[in-house]
Amino acid sequence: MTESVILEKLATLWPEIIMISGACICMVVGLSPKQAVRRSVVWITGLALAVAGLLLVAPHFGWWAGETSGGAAGLATAMFVRLSVILLGLLLWLTSWGVPDLLPATQVAEAAAAQGRPFNPSMVCRGEYFAFFLFSLTGAMLCASANDLVWLFLALELTSLPTYIMVATGRNHMAAQEAGLKYFFLGALSVAIFLYGFSLVYGATGTTVIVSTQLQPVSIAGYVAGLQGEFPPLLATGLLLSLVGLAFKIAAFPMHFYVADVYQGAATPVTALLAFVPKMAGFVSIMLLLSVIGWPLPVPVMWVLWIMAAVTMTVGNVLGLLQNNVKRVLAYSSIAHSGYLLVGIVAGPTTSAGTLGQGLAAVLFYIVVYGLATIGAFSVLGCLRVNGEEAQTYDEISGLSRRYPGLALLMLISILSLIGLPPLAGFVGKVYLFGSAISGSFIGLMVVAAINTAVSAVYYLRIIGACYFGESRIKIELVATRAGRLSAGLAAIAVLVLGFRGGWLVEATREATRSVSVVDVDTQPQVAAPDHLSSE
Amino acid sequence: MANLSTIDSISHYGPIVVLLVMAILFGVGNVILTTVLGPRSQGPVKGMAYESGMNPFSSARRRFHVRFYVVAMTFLLFDVEIVFLYPWAVVFGSLADESALRPLFLGRVLFFLLTSVVAFTYAWRKGVFRYD
Repeated sequence: MTESVILEKLATLWPEIIMISGACICMVVGLSPKQAVRRSVVWITGLALAVAGLLLVAPHFGWWAGETSGGAAGLATAMFVRLSVILLGLLLWLTSWGVPDLLPATQVAEAAAAQGRPFNPSMVCRGEYFAFFLFSLTGAMLCASANDLVWLFLALELTSLPTYIMVATGRNHMAAQEAGLKYFFLGALSVAIFLYGFSLVYGATGTTVIVSTQLQPVSIAGYVAGLQGEFPPLLATGLLLSLVGLAFKIAAFPMHFYVADVYQGAATPVTALLAFVPKMAGFVSIMLLLSVIGWPLPVPVMWVLWIMAAVTMTVGNVLGLLQNNVKRVLAYSSIAHSGYLLVGIVAGPTTSAGTLGQGLAAVLFYIVVYGLATIGAFSVLGCLRVNGEEAQTYDEISGLSRRYPGLALLMLISILSLIGLPPLAGFVGKVYLFGSAISGSFIGLMVVAAINTAVSAVYYLRIIGACYFGESRIKIELVATRAGRLSAGLAAIAVLVLGFRGGWLVEATREATRSVSVVDVDTQPQVAAPDHLSSE
Repeated sequence: MANLSTIDSISHYGPIVVLLVMAILFGVGNVILTTVLGPRSQGPVKGMAYESGMNPFSSARRRFHVRFYVVAMTFLLFDVEIVFLYPWAVVFGSLADESALRPLFLGRVLFFLLTSVVAFTYAWRKGVFRYD
């Protein structure tokens, strides 16, 4: 990459730079001896998110002549992903509000400081929590504007690495330590797999640039276009290994084993983050990688994804039926939703112009809707405590509607959207997603998905049944988190609004995926195979 | 033609082979020379483990304080950051004096060092370097 290219790229990244700076400031300010100063990290985090969001939309409204170029996925896709990460990030920020303050170590340190003794910074991880929160969101945003395998790898790691620590430190419980360790080791394994895949792709094509509009530097997309339909085994292996590694990020078969344990062990607001941010990053990366070979996908890749989608949703939904713990149920629901989302990836953008024909647009729409609903559900759970511990089982949330009718209603809306009942946004998302499967003539996959949706209703309705018709035997109490309730409320409102008036978001996703199109050999630059391959 | 280029590319590694041979000769030669030339005396003091002139008082196979690992990890972190400065220094030295890239490169490495300073401040405040 030449100097000017790097500088141009940097100029497009002001929102990310703001967020990284905010994270560094949080890290240092969180250890301040003054209580008011160290408590301000929450506000600094919110401010960084808000400023980043404003910088992102400023060029659109002409407030600021900022960036002009996106990554391999094109400007519109990158813009959509970055903006939705920031907006849902604001919800997650509200959900996370009190997490570090509720830790016993923090309370001990703060109580000692309040009595005039010197503040002990080694006991408090408030600054770290919010710094890692910002780092993780930034990673997901950087994935969207990647145009290089190295960049993509670093962005994916920036998304995941902070979450390992957030899982382990967000909650004072053995389960959190265990979850953090499991998540870290399996995460390292998945990284090794997709890095190996990337290296094979590099070996096959001789470049790490994903898409390039010029002949120089050569790009992977250009190389694939030059193959004229042939598909070297090395490249196929590389892409498949990358997909398997990325399956970890999106919690899909065959890398789904960690999900239930990690989601259960982590503090509930952290779980909400895990359910949305890595999934968004993973799906954007999958779209980027597959866009170089284009849709309709070559038969082997298509079948691998077909089977992955079918098995993922079936595994998620069937195992979800067996759980007694609501967090585990929502974890398996997260797996199942990854399966539905993979349907859209398999279908891809089709040539027919109908609204239902856009697989990738449907994926973007559905992931936002799923994110909203799952953040809503986890935010409600995060507000509830039983004997000072998080409320997790069906028994513990049983009879919630009598005690806290408002929270139960928010839970109801989120869960109904996850099932996909009209008029909520989940319904629109499912219609859009399954419609893309039909117009891509993947009828078999669509039937599997429809059956799975019906199966999933069983465990979702069990949650609602416990909330509304269960006897309240265990004393459940609310922790002082107005922000968490606000987050759940906003998520529920968004789900309702998108259900009734979601047309603009559908349009936005269609606009966003216009540049990622079906294979059109003529428009892509023809590039000869690199020397070391053509000589063989 | 092919042979010539092969020999040519291998001859790049000539200095490394010479260095390797010299290193082996130096090591083996010193051992042989000391056994041949050096004075010999045996005794209990001679057989003792040598650790900077201190008398050993227990086995080295024991549990270390966890602080040791934290310091070791911190050391590794900053050690690796120093390593990153070397490629920068090599490229910076090759830039022309009036090149517009010079301030840019300097600014970047200063930013990189600034992030290290943030990390150092953080570690310090967290009590990583405290021994009491």
